Amino acid sequence: MSTTTAAKPAKPVETRSLGSRALEALLTQRIVLLAVLIVVLLIVMTILDSAGALSGSYNSDYLAASLINAVPLAMLGLAQLLVILSGRGGIDLSVGSMVSVTGIAFGMAYGLWGWNLVTAMLFAVVLGGILGGINGALVAYVGFPPLIATLATFYAYRSVALVWSDQKPVNSAGIQAFYSAAKAIELPVIGASLPLIPLGIFTFLIPVVIVVWILLNKTTFGRRVYAAGTNDTAAVWAGINVRPNRLLVYVLSGVISGLVGIVTVAQFASARPDAGTSGNGMALPAITIAVLGGVAITGGIGRVAGVVLATVLIVWLNAGILLAFPGNDGVQVQLLALGLVLVFASLLNGLTRRKYGGI
Amino acid sequence: MTVLDREPSEAVKPVARRVLPPPVTGQELVLVAVIAVLWVLLGIFTPSFLSPSSIQPLLVSVAPIALIGVGMTFIIITAGIDVSVGGAIALCAVVTAKLLVNYAVPLPVAVAASMALGLVLGLVNGTLIAYGRVHAIIITFGTANIFQFFALRVFGSSTVNNIPATLDVFGRGDVGRTFGVPHSFAITILVVLLAWWYLRHTAGGRHLFAIGGNANAARLAGVKVQPRVLLAYAITGTLVGLGACFLIAAGTSTLDQGVGIGRELAVIAAVVIGGTSILGGRGSVIGTLLGAILVQTVTSGVTQLGWPSQLANLFVGLFIIIAVGTDLLRERARRRKA
Amino acid sequence: MPYAADAVATVPRVSLSGIVKSYGGVRAIRNADISVAPGTVHALVGENGAGKSTLIKILAGAEHADAGSVQFNGETVSIASTTDAIALGVQTVYQEPQLFPELSVAENVFVGRELKKGARVDWAAQADAMHGLLDTVGLPDSVSTEAVGTLSIAQQQQVSIAKALAGDASVLILDEPSAILTDSEIDVLFSVIRRLTATGVAVIYISHRLDELFRIADVVTVMRDGETITTMPIGELSVREIAELMVGGVLTESRSDATGAQGEVVLELDRLSLENHFQNISLIVLAGEIVGLYGLIGSGAGEIASAVYGMKKPTGGSIRIKGEVIQLKRPAQARKLGIHLLPANRSAQGSFSFQSIAFNVTVGELQLLSRLRGWVEQRRDRSIAQEFIRRLAVKTPSEKQPISAMSGGNAQKVVLARQLVNRPELLVLVEPTQGVDVGAKEEIHRIVDGLASEGTAVLVVTSDLGEVQRMSDRILVVRSGEIVSEFTPDATQVEILAAAAGERHQEDLS
Repeated sequence: MSTTTAAKPAKPVETRSLGSRALEALLTQRIVLLAVLIVVLLIVMTILDSAGALSGSYNSDYLAASLINAVPLAMLGLAQLLVILSGRGGIDLSVGSMVSVTGIAFGMAYGLWGWNLVTAMLFAVVLGGILGGINGALVAYVGFPPLIATLATFYAYRSVALVWSDQKPVNSAGIQAFYSAAKAIELPVIGASLPLIPLGIFTFLIPVVIVVWILLNKTTFGRRVYAAGTNDTAAVWAGINVRPNRLLVYVLSGVISGLVGIVTVAQFASARPDAGTSGNGMALPAITIAVLGGVAITGGIGRVAGVVLATVLIVWLNAGILLAFPGNDGVQVQLLALGLVLVFASLLNGLTRRKYGGI
Repeated sequence: MTVLDREPSEAVKPVARRVLPPPVTGQELVLVAVIAVLWVLLGIFTPSFLSPSSIQPLLVSVAPIALIGVGMTFIIITAGIDVSVGGAIALCAVVTAKLLVNYAVPLPVAVAASMALGLVLGLVNGTLIAYGRVHAIIITFGTANIFQFFALRVFGSSTVNNIPATLDVFGRGDVGRTFGVPHSFAITILVVLLAWWYLRHTAGGRHLFAIGGNANAARLAGVKVQPRVLLAYAITGTLVGLGACFLIAAGTSTLDQGVGIGRELAVIAAVVIGGTSILGGRGSVIGTLLGAILVQTVTSGVTQLGWPSQLANLFVGLFIIIAVGTDLLRERARRRKA
Repeated sequence: MPYAADAVATVPRVSLSGIVKSYGGVRAIRNADISVAPGTVHALVGENGAGKSTLIKILAGAEHADAGSVQFNGETVSIASTTDAIALGVQTVYQEPQLFPELSVAENVFVGRELKKGARVDWAAQADAMHGLLDTVGLPDSVSTEAVGTLSIAQQQQVSIAKALAGDASVLILDEPSAILTDSEIDVLFSVIRRLTATGVAVIYISHRLDELFRIADVVTVMRDGETITTMPIGELSVREIAELMVGGVLTESRSDATGAQGEVVLELDRLSLENHFQNISLIVLAGEIVGLYGLIGSGAGEIASAVYGMKKPTGGSIRIKGEVIQLKRPAQARKLGIHLLPANRSAQGSFSFQSIAFNVTVGELQLLSRLRGWVEQRRDRSIAQEFIRRLAVKTPSEKQPISAMSGGNAQKVVLARQLVNRPELLVLVEPTQGVDVGAKEEIHRIVDGLASEGTAVLVVTSDLGEVQRMSDRILVVRSGEIVSEFTPDATQVEILAAAAGERHQEDLS
C-alpha cells in the first residue's frame, strides 16, 4: 500500500510529515486517542505507585478486580451506542429505571416465585425488551423526541420498580447463592499465570460486547442503523424501512438493561428497587462513556471498540483515583474527572470537526 | 379619499383590534382545567387536601421547581437544554448553608451570594454552549458532574446541620407567609409574570423564539444569537441560586448531600408538561408554572390518598407522554391538512 | 407631473455593467450587463447554469464580482456584503422562505428590526405598519397575529415579500417565485407585483415559465453561457423567440444510437394523479428504452418519479410493472420489484456523508452482502464497491474513503452505483447530473446508455434541456402536472423548451 501511494506524490496527504499525520490520527481516530490515554494513565499511576503516593498497590490484580465496575458501565454504554447511533436525537435516559425494574423482576421470579435461573433471567430480559419497545414505539412510530420519551419512561419505570417491590429490596437464600456467580474466577488452563478476573466480565460483558459488535458490523441491521443515523432521509430513499430498525435499537437497549438488572442483583446480593436510579443513576455515566468513546450525539458515528476502551479508561482512572484520594474524597474526585473528561471530549469533537471536517 | 370613508368613531376607538396572539394558549387552559379537576377530586376523596395546611406546603414545593423552570423554559425555547441544574442547585445550596452556619450572614447576603454563584455557573454553561459550539446536553452532563464535585467538597460530611433560621422567610412556617400566601411562591409568581412579559413583549424575548425556530435565519435577520443564548443560561443559573435558597428554607435545619439529585429532570418534566417544545421555538413560562403545580399536586395527592408515594412518578411519566403526545398528533393532523 | 416621472424613469434604479465572476478557474459569468428601471418588472431568463443566480447573488451581496461595476440611482456603489445590499434597499425573496414557523406574521416581518416603545416591542405601531404591508402583498389584516407555520406556502411567500418591503425595498429580487404556486396563487402574486411597481419598486423576476412572463414582465434579459445576450421589451418577443435566444445556436446533440427499442413494456402509468402535483399522467417505458420526462421546476415531473418509487402515494390512476398493477407504500417495496431511483438532491437524499464509498454503494442492496440472510461479509462489500469503482471510473484511492471527501461528479457516480448493484428492471433518474462537472456528466450519460442497451428501462426526469435531448429515445414534456407534448430526439431544443415553458398549441409538433 505504502509503495503505491508513494508513487503518487501529487496527493497532499502523503507529503505531510509523520508528526502531523500522527496528530490527525490522534484527533480523528478516537480509538487511538483512548488507547494512548490508557497507556499514559497506566504509566502515571505506576510512577505514583512506585513513589509511594498511593494508598494501595496499582497492580494487575487491582486493575483486574476493578473491572467488575466495567460490567454495567460498558453494557449500558453499548446500549447508548445503539440508540445514539440511530440518529434523530437518539438517547435513552430510562436505562437506569429499566435496570431497576428488570432487577426486581428477576429477584421476584428467581428469589420469591421459585422459578429456575434460566427462566427468571429470560423473564428479566424479555421484560427489558418490552420496556425498551415502549420507548422505541414512542420514538419511531409516534415521533417523540427520544429525550422526552425516555424522560417520561424514566419516571414511569422507576415508579413501577419502587411500587412493585414495595420500596424494599427483594432478598432470599437463592439470591444470596447467586451472589457467588459474581465472584472472580481463575481462567482454566492459562488462569494460573493471570490475575483473577471478575466472572461478570465473561458471563455478561464479553458476550454483550461480541453480540453488539456483530450486530453493528456483521449484520444488515447494523448497516441500516448506521444509514438511518447518518442520513434519515437518504436511508428512506435507499429503500430502508427506517422505523422498525429504530424501534429495535430501543428494544435492544431494554434487553441490555435487563441483563444489567441481573448483574446488579448478583453484585448487591439482593434486588434493589433503586439499583439503576440511586444517586446520579446509571444513564448519565453510560451516556458519558458513549460520548467519550467517540459516539457523535447527532448519530451515525460510533464504534463498539471506542465504548469499550472508554469504559476501561474511566474504570482504571476511577480505580487510580481511589488509591490517590483515599476514602470519600476519591468518590468525589471521580465525579470531577468524569465531568472534565466529558467536557474535554466534546470540545475535542467540535475542534476535530472544524479542523478536519466531518468526523 | 379613504380618510373620508372612515367613520370617526372607528378611528378613535380601535375596537378590540388584536395586535398580538391570545395571551393564554389552549394547552395552558387544558392544564388549568386538569389541575382544577384534580383539586376537586382530591378535595372530595381526601378530607384535608383543600385545607391551607395542605395547599401551602404544596405551593412551597412548587416554588423552586417553577422558578428554575422559568430559566429552563428560556433555554429550551432556544432549542437548548441544561441537565446540570441538579449539580448547580447542590453547589449553591451548600455554599449558602455554610455561609449561614459558619458566618451567620444576613438574609440579603445569603441570597445575593447564592444567586451570584448560580450566575457564574450559568455563565460557564452558556459560554461553552454559545461560543464553544458543542451540544448542550453533552456539555451540561459534564458540568453537572463538575458542579456535583465542588458541592460535595464544600459539604465535607454528608449533611450540613443546624442551619440558622435566616431563610425561613421563604419556608413552610408562619414567617414564610403573608395573608396565607407563601413568600417563595409569591416571588415565583412575580418572576413568572416578569418572564412572561419579557418573552412576550420585548425584542430580546422574541429573539429567543426566533433562535429556537431557525437559528440561521435569525442570524441573517440580525439577531445576536450567541449573546442571547448565553443570557438564557445565565438567567437559569441566577434562578438556580434563588431556588437553592427556597429549597434550604423548605427543608429542615439540615441540608442533605442529595439536595440536587434528580431536580434537573423534575424541572424539565414541568417545562415539557407545560407545553414547551423540546425542539425549540415554542414555549411558555405560565405553562411551566402550571406543569410544576400539576406534578406537585399529583405527588401530594398520591400521598394523601394513602397510595404508595412512589406511584406519583408513574403519573408524571404519563403526563409527559400525554402532553407531548397530543401535541405531536395535533401537529401531524395539521400537517396532513396543509 | 409627467415630466418629472419621465426624468426619474430615465435613470435606472440599479445597473450592473461588465460583471465577470469565476469560481476557481470556471467562468460563471463572462460578461453581464443589466439595467433595471424603477417601477418595472425586469425578467431574467436563461437555462440552468447560464449565470442568473450568480448575477443575482452579486447584486444581493452574497457573492463578490471579479470585475465590473454597480450603479444605484446613477451613482457607483460597492456591495461588499448582504448588509450593504440591504442598506441600499436590495431585498431578495428566495424559493425557500427564511421564516420562523412559530412566530406570528407581524413578528416574522419585523424580526431583528422591531419597532419599540421603550423596552417593549410596539405592537400597535407594528400592527399599523403591517396594515399597509399586508394590503400591498394581498393578505388580510387578520393573519397578522397568526403563526406563520399555519399558513400555506403561497401565503408564506407573501409574508416573505412583506418582510422584504418592511426593509424599504427599492429593488426586489424574486427567485422562481411561481415554481411552488398554483395558478390562482400566481394570479395573487402578480397583482402583488403590480401594486409594488406602482409605488416605484424595481422588480427583478427570475422564472423558467416563459408564458407567465408575458403577463407580468415589462422587459426581459436573456442570459446564456454566462453572458447577457439581449435585453428587450417583452412585447417585442414571443415565447419561441425567447427560447431560441436562451438555447442559442447550440448544435443539438441527440442520442447517437436512438434505436426506437422494441422490448416489452416495463413501466406503464395509466391516468396517474397526485392531488396538487400532477394529473392523468399516462406513459409507457419499454425495456431498453430511455424515456425523458422534461419539465421545469414546479412542473410536477419530480413528483411523478416519487410516486413510481413509492415515496408518494398517488390519489388516482394506476402503475403497472410488466403488466401487473402495483401499489407501493414505501421505496423498499419498489426496490423489491426492481424499480431503482437516483434521487435529485444528492446531499439530502442520496449520500451518507461520513460513511465510506463501499457503504454508500451497497446500502441499497444489503441482501447481496452474504448468502446468509441478514449477514454482512466485508469481503463482498469491498469487492462489489471495487467492481463499481472500476466500472463507473470513480476516482478514488480506495473504497474506504468517505463519500464526503469526493467531488460532486464522483459522489454522484457512487450514488448511481447503488442503483446498479442489483440490476434494475426500471431505473428512474431524477436530475442525474445536477451539480456535476462536464466530464462526469458525459460519463454518467454513457453509463446509462450502456444500461439501456443491456435491456434496462430508463426514465430520466430532468430540467436540463441538453441532457434530456442527449439521453432520451422519446421526450415527454410536463407542464403544470400534465404531459403536454411528446418529441422524438431530433426535435429542436427550441421546440421542447417552448412546449415546457408554456407556448400553447404546439402539440402538433410531436
